[in-house]
Amino acid sequence: MKFIKKNAIALLIIVLISTGVYFSYQAYKGTDLSRIPVQVKKTSAQNPYKEAPNSSRITNKGVEQLKVYPSIQKGMRTPFDLWNYYGKGDSSFGSPNLPMRFEQWVDFNKKQKPKLMADVDAYMNGRFNFDSRAIPGQFMSGGRKPIMAGPVTRLPRGIDSFETLADLAPEEIKKRDLFPFKPLAHPIQSTAHMVFPDSWVAIHPQHKRLDVDMDIPEDYLPEFPPPLFLTTHKELGDVTGGQEITLDNFFEMFDGIISPEQMEGLKELLRPTPTTWFNHTSHRITEEPSQGVACLDCHVNGHTNGAFELAPDSRPNMARLRVDTPTMRGNYNLMLLSSKRSIRSMDHFAEVEEYFDGDPGMQQSIGPRAAKREVTNRMGDFNSIIDYPPAPKLNPLMRLIPGKATESELRGEAVFHGKGQCDKCHYGPAFTDDYMHDLQVERFYVGRPEGPIKTFPLRGIKDSPPYLHDGRLPTLADAVEFFNIVLTLKLTKQEKEDLVNYLLAL
Amino acid sequence: MENRTNLLRYALGIVYFHFGLLKYFRDLSSAELIAEQTIMKFSLYAFDAHTALLFLATFEVIIGLGFLFNFKPKLIFCLFLLHMAGTFIPLFVFPEIAFKFAPFAPTLEGQYILKNIVFLAAGWAVLYPQIKSKGMKSRVEEK
Repeated sequence: MKFIKKNAIALLIIVLISTGVYFSYQAYKGTDLSRIPVQVKKTSAQNPYKEAPNSSRITNKGVEQLKVYPSIQKGMRTPFDLWNYYGKGDSSFGSPNLPMRFEQWVDFNKKQKPKLMADVDAYMNGRFNFDSRAIPGQFMSGGRKPIMAGPVTRLPRGIDSFETLADLAPEEIKKRDLFPFKPLAHPIQSTAHMVFPDSWVAIHPQHKRLDVDMDIPEDYLPEFPPPLFLTTHKELGDVTGGQEITLDNFFEMFDGIISPEQMEGLKELLRPTPTTWFNHTSHRITEEPSQGVACLDCHVNGHTNGAFELAPDSRPNMARLRVDTPTMRGNYNLMLLSSKRSIRSMDHFAEVEEYFDGDPGMQQSIGPRAAKREVTNRMGDFNSIIDYPPAPKLNPLMRLIPGKATESELRGEAVFHGKGQCDKCHYGPAFTDDYMHDLQVERFYVGRPEGPIKTFPLRGIKDSPPYLHDGRLPTLADAVEFFNIVLTLKLTKQEKEDLVNYLLAL
Repeated sequence: MENRTNLLRYALGIVYFHFGLLKYFRDLSSAELIAEQTIMKFSLYAFDAHTALLFLATFEVIIGLGFLFNFKPKLIFCLFLLHMAGTFIPLFVFPEIAFKFAPFAPTLEGQYILKNIVFLAAGWAVLYPQIKSKGMKSRVEEK
């Protein structure tokens, strides 16, 4: 009592402030300004009829285990474990202005980069054992780059093999936090955008970023430059002769073997245009102004060099999923393009690529990509003659030819169509059902669900590491281990080895 | 004189307690960005943003309560000085955010930090005489 009397003023202040802050928070969260997406109020546009007592409403179930995204500005570091977070952004719309003067921006990024990259390397080496061990005698289709052996994903502490891990129930793996295949984030999601491999940047220094470098070792990326095969000239094999196709050499390379429409389309695929962060303005992530990025800067020679960025289909930036560059090989066979979005046509593919991170306002501010429909159609014309690499062990029905295949490959094919159930989604000439599936990987860890991803075509898959939309599976062996766990297949070690050998033959 | 000091003590307590409390409620404090980023950067990213903010919130609330109830002036003075030193860190680790042109053209965030010299002086005026007089008292008693 004496204490209360003595400190009455202080206690009154504490009660007033605490009550005020609490009620302010209750009123603030879920509003337009708040980054916590808890909808508590109905707007006038909603159904005026009373809600049925048992109606199913969208709730934030599970969200209570997640953290709200940190406050950031462009350029600031973001957590590597972004799957642990959720929340709204301040706005859907971007600004062409930097949060500081350009000179400060350059200094800021230069200062931040060494520590960031050291942390990125430590994180990646903590997740993966990049020992650069190749599969004997296996090369990518150009015949120059060895294919890496795996799995290289590190097992969680206390688990001695992937077989032991696969024996555990999803709930157990989640409860004990044992899932080794959690999503891979962009090293700096506040800026995000395209990150090119070192081999590319060495030749194209205009794409050297001030803030971040590629986080996956060169050995685990596609060969550079990759070969290009045409559906219209299978007899020619690799039409590039081992060169990178550029604006300087494309005409010489393709004159007389492709049509004028295709030639125009190819030229457009090679023509750089400004992007959100590679451009002539000060809103850029390069020290010097840049002409921008061309389609074939990531899709080198119609394939991929392993450059990654963020899918432009969500906000805030921290909620966007990292996506690798998918190959353009065999696009002629696909009804659904890209890995994380449902892009339905070749010209749509050419129109909406990630140059401006899905933000038309930024496109207008920085400088539009003037790709009109007739132009994107022609880009599609060239796109539609890019073939898969040869697969001499497959017959026209996409089955192995027994006389050419090894015993292990044949056993792998049996697993593919049998116990592995791979053919439920991977079938037909491209080994894809052209659907997007939600693998519900969040069953295995506490995290924000990633939603559906496209069934990747498996023809020529050995040329396109790393795997899954975000590259979290550096080798085919990692991909097999991932699906063995996620689909609870219970494959044996031998079956998994056979499956990898089969995939190498596709 | 004592009334004026008490007024200053309550004022400091209110600001510390209020602004500290806000940091417990995600997305409510305007200082989130600079506070989180500074602690994360200064701790070499050992803290994540969430932990960093909780840490700072607790720190500030304790100091606020210390001012309001006027307890453990020596401890509160030490925490206060530590906190004050911390508030100036962004000027060095994030000069790009704190200054339009260093060092005489601060941004709004920079001004928010630099005004802490007033806090420092006020806190000193409130707490230091108490510590000093207690120290003298104990020395007299010893004699």
